[in-house]
Amino acid sequence: MERKVSLAEIKTIAKLSKLSFSEQELANFSEDVNSVISHFEKLNRLDLQGVSPTSHISWGQPPLNPDEAVVWENRDWVLEQAPEVCGRLIVVPKIVEK
Amino acid sequence: MDNYYVTIGLEVHCQLLTTTKMFCRCKTDYFGKAPNTLVCPVCLGLPGSLPVLNEQALRLAILTAQALNCRILPRVVFHRKNYFYPDLPKGYQISQYDLPIGVEGKIEFDFKGNREAVRIKRVHAEEDAGKLVHEGLNLPFGCSGVDFNRCGIPLVEIVTEPDLHSPEEARECLVMLRNVVRYIGVSDGNMEEGSLRCDANVSVSPSPEKMGTKVEVKNMNSFRSVFRALRYEVDRQVELLEKGESLYQETRHWDEARGITLSARGKEEAEDYRYFPDPDLLPITLEDSFLKEIKAAISELPLTRKERLMIEHELPENEANILVQDKTLADFFEEALKEFNQPRLLCNWMLTEVLKNLNEAGIDITESKVSPQQLAELLRMIDKGEISGTIAKGVLEEMFTTGLDAREIVSKKGISLISNEKELEKVVLEVVEKNPQSVADYLSGKEKALHFLIGQVMKETKGQANPEIVKDILLKKLASEE
Repeated sequence: MERKVSLAEIKTIAKLSKLSFSEQELANFSEDVNSVISHFEKLNRLDLQGVSPTSHISWGQPPLNPDEAVVWENRDWVLEQAPEVCGRLIVVPKIVEK
Repeated sequence: MDNYYVTIGLEVHCQLLTTTKMFCRCKTDYFGKAPNTLVCPVCLGLPGSLPVLNEQALRLAILTAQALNCRILPRVVFHRKNYFYPDLPKGYQISQYDLPIGVEGKIEFDFKGNREAVRIKRVHAEEDAGKLVHEGLNLPFGCSGVDFNRCGIPLVEIVTEPDLHSPEEARECLVMLRNVVRYIGVSDGNMEEGSLRCDANVSVSPSPEKMGTKVEVKNMNSFRSVFRALRYEVDRQVELLEKGESLYQETRHWDEARGITLSARGKEEAEDYRYFPDPDLLPITLEDSFLKEIKAAISELPLTRKERLMIEHELPENEANILVQDKTLADFFEEALKEFNQPRLLCNWMLTEVLKNLNEAGIDITESKVSPQQLAELLRMIDKGEISGTIAKGVLEEMFTTGLDAREIVSKKGISLISNEKELEKVVLEVVEKNPQSVADYLSGKEKALHFLIGQVMKETKGQANPEIVKDILLKKLASEE
């Protein structure tokens, strides 16, 4: 059965992502997201009873880092990429409202 | 208020004592560092970078869960907790969700003469976010500054079940949690510096069968503020219920300066983290041998140590409790005890004179210039009658500033106990003559008067008289007055 994503859900996701869109854009998203979802709906045709969800496609023990510091030399370059800096702080619009 | 049942659960974050961050190899000692100097593509969330778990962070998180008697789950799985905030460059925090490191643990502590056991719901590992700076030098109006030095620092989150029933009990539980993480060396547990943070869920209900509405309180930065915030919140909720008003589930922030909690509404509805397993981090299967190796590192925990000090050294509970609050203080005590085996006397000196000197210098025992051996030597000198207790206090003060041995200070200053009876007899005679009332008091059976007279002799001799000999001479003299 196909599940439709409502406009309200699209609006919630946009809000969670702190993004704003025009009504037209939201309507377009609704359409796009629904076509993506209906594509994946095809997977529901498979009988997956007894198969556990796959979150990772590789197995075995992953590598671990030793607890020894390595300095990244390009740290100043990052500041050059920021739209605005103040000293070494990256400047962003204030989002805390009291 | 007595007609209400209070229910409190704690959520405690501790910064793990690793050298490097949780998923990259940047250093963790961000305190006082210039902003954005301890960063790399991984902790900045630059495209294409991949996280690799720090083995030591994993070990410390497991150790925490073990020390809290948790069942350790066989697989470690990390989830992405998605939310957008400027201090979180990836747009998600790597945390744990349905498979934490440990579950179903407990922590025990003594409260009002009872042994309390609070269940631990879960212990999980996660990374810290960066820091937003809202005020400061030359920041443009309406802007904040972001410092990513803290981003990716390993944390362990400890969640208790709602088993606490008063702000006082919650504080005691938190103190014990802090002591445990310090004892096992996973965190320095410093609330003021933010290496230990605490949120609390509080509810009140007129009936023990029915839980009240849960309110989450955040932003408490000291043990004192946790206690004050909880007490305020309990009172506030009871007051509303008394007025017949209803409570609703919400998050409130503690305002330390005003001493109140404020609703942080608006944020809740946005709280939908859409957790999913982080595909960049493979699950880790924990071998029994690995878990055993970690567990072997658990030293004696505070509660056990307190009991041992009470049994082995016959210390009163209160004193033993103060000693074990700080592992390094208890270590110092036991070290000194090896060379001066009078636990009660040593303990008294530790909790009065040693703590006083530390407080005055604003340092803790690990920074002290006086070693346990040096303190033991000073106490041996009193014990042997080489110096009086009064003199020793001054000597200890000097030891704290100079780091010299007691014996060196004593000989340098020419301090010695006057044990010469002839010399002391003269002083005793003078004191007796000057204080006829005290003599009469003593003779009429007031024991206290004797102490006063000994004190006068000590004063005359500037503390250098041997108090035992003074007492003997005085008693002889007073006996002859009868």
